[in-house]
Amino acid sequence: MPSDVYIQTTELTRKFKEKTALDRVNLQIHQGELFGLVGPDGAGKTTLLRTLAGLIGISDGAVHVAGCDLLKNPESVKSQIGYMAQEFSLYSKLSVIENLQFFGELYNVPASIQRERIPGLLAFAQLTEFKNRRAAKLSGGMKKKLALACTLLHRPPTLLLDEPTTGVDPVSRREFWKILNDLHIQGTTIIVSTPYMDEADRCSRVALIYNGRVVQCDSPAAIRGQLGGEVLKIVTDNWQKARKVILPLPGVQEVQSYGEALHVLVDSASRRTKSIKKSLLEHKLSILEMRGITPRMEEAFISFIRKMDQDT
Amino acid sequence: MSIRHLWAVVRKEIQHILRDRGTFILVLVTPTVVLLLMTYALAVDIEHVSIALLDYDQSPMSRQFIQRITAGDDLDLYTAAGSMEEIEDLLVKGKIKAALIIDPDFSADLLSMRGLALQVVIDGTEPETGGFAVDHIGWRAEIFANQILSSQLRASGLAVESLQPIDLRIRAWYNPSLVPQVDLVPGLLSVVLGFPAFSVALTLAREHEHRTMEQLLATPITRIELLLGKIIPYILAGLLNVLVIPFFAMAWFNVPFHGSFLVFLLLSVIFLFAELSMGMVIGVFMRSQSAALALSFLVVMFPGFFLTGIFFPIASLPELARMESLFLPGTQYAIITRGVFLTGIGLDVLWPYAIMLIFLGLVFTGTAALFFRKKLA
Repeated sequence: MPSDVYIQTTELTRKFKEKTALDRVNLQIHQGELFGLVGPDGAGKTTLLRTLAGLIGISDGAVHVAGCDLLKNPESVKSQIGYMAQEFSLYSKLSVIENLQFFGELYNVPASIQRERIPGLLAFAQLTEFKNRRAAKLSGGMKKKLALACTLLHRPPTLLLDEPTTGVDPVSRREFWKILNDLHIQGTTIIVSTPYMDEADRCSRVALIYNGRVVQCDSPAAIRGQLGGEVLKIVTDNWQKARKVILPLPGVQEVQSYGEALHVLVDSASRRTKSIKKSLLEHKLSILEMRGITPRMEEAFISFIRKMDQDT
Repeated sequence: MSIRHLWAVVRKEIQHILRDRGTFILVLVTPTVVLLLMTYALAVDIEHVSIALLDYDQSPMSRQFIQRITAGDDLDLYTAAGSMEEIEDLLVKGKIKAALIIDPDFSADLLSMRGLALQVVIDGTEPETGGFAVDHIGWRAEIFANQILSSQLRASGLAVESLQPIDLRIRAWYNPSLVPQVDLVPGLLSVVLGFPAFSVALTLAREHEHRTMEQLLATPITRIELLLGKIIPYILAGLLNVLVIPFFAMAWFNVPFHGSFLVFLLLSVIFLFAELSMGMVIGVFMRSQSAALALSFLVVMFPGFFLTGIFFPIASLPELARMESLFLPGTQYAIITRGVFLTGIGLDVLWPYAIMLIFLGLVFTGTAALFFRKKLA
């Protein structure tokens, strides 16, 4: 294994009774990466993160995290990582600070160092004024930040975060990602799963997981580039009808709807704009907006999933 | 094993006991309250059982006999019935628990020393009360018949002091007045201290239910640190009950405490370790609190009542149940508490039970540690 490969999975397979949750996953994650895991619900993101955290066993293959062979000794990795579960999993009867201290003790952080680090973490998670509040009485965003703070107290070189921003308001989400960026800059290796494509765009590399398999693994720009076309944003007075009109036209690969707007994936925007416009007008649809937009992870992601579904 | 990890879990669990009202009540209040309630409910003497009479003899002797039967507080004469139909009606309506039928030849048989035929009808749906009535009627009838027969024999010139060849004098040691509370309170102690075991079973399931287990398992804590950290606070809580209950027992029910309190405390710690480890085994296998609670009732509470010899003598149990009772910490502890409270015996006699409790505790903790995996699936 190359020296800078920090996490490596080799043909990693995890089977539950009938379902194969992870199917021959091969990943190499380098030290200091901010690595994103995206994929539909039930694709295997949580299973992969739990496996990396040593929380569930391996059916086949191998996993190395921070030089530890998880097959041989899953416990050895635990002091090296900070794991944040998807659901809130701190003690609701304990206060913010008591939760921090509890996990500080379990991660063997000496009391003097806890005293030194906790004020910083509270400030950084914006929880200073709530430090004596019971965890049960925190808002969703505060809970997530507290959970993150609990995983950071022992300064782990690796962070495994399972959908840390799900159920969090947009402002808290931004704050959360600011924290992750700071940690990334400080050199922490971060693996984060997310259902939000704008978050995937912030990662240095992204793995797209589908049905337990890694179907794409590259930088966000490269994944967007693989879309193999351009995206036209079209807003009409009747998107359902417009969708039916546009879909069979030559050069149109895919039509995705976003509220009233349609994102039309075409081989070339300059070549197809005219014919699309003409068809829409022929069907008595009035065009409110029509312009080329930069493809986002979202279009790329949906396009991949559709192709995968068509193939199977 | 890291003392820091252990202490962190112990402290967190104590904070939980103090802050969660349900746990607080279950662990610190329930044992004492249940013990008081059950002692009151179970230690009631049977008195004033209503009976009816059907006197076919209607002689001075039968009337004298009836007077004797109902002279005490134990049996009350509800009515003198006129027919069997009336008696049946009274039994069905629950007005009486037993009926005494006096034969027409009652006085003639007695006077001619032909023996005594009495018929007692009881309500079989309440065998305890019925049996009580039978015993007391029989006991009084025997005394009455003896007196009549003795005077008859004397009148016919035979010198007899008494018809009883055996003079049996019963002495109940350690509970001389045979007050039921005296024996119940030490016995029930082993049952009510099962409640902290419930909490131990619930505490692991709660970590699963509240998803905190996932975060906990991701830390470097070891299984044994976690399991011991989970059991120690409940042993301490159980000990608080152990400290309080003897005072209630002595002040409220006049239960004597003849043994050494220190020995009692020491053996109670060992018992709590064994009993609570049983709860731990349940907690390791159950992923929800409701399932853990149901299983605790089945495994801890019911056998605690029926198989530990508190209410039913172990010798009267079928062989399989006798074997099971041997492996219940409550069986050993019931012997210990009765011994310490009533007989005043010490470790010189009780050590084999202590050894058995330590053995059971180690087996249960070992089983829990063996089956508890630091894995989610």
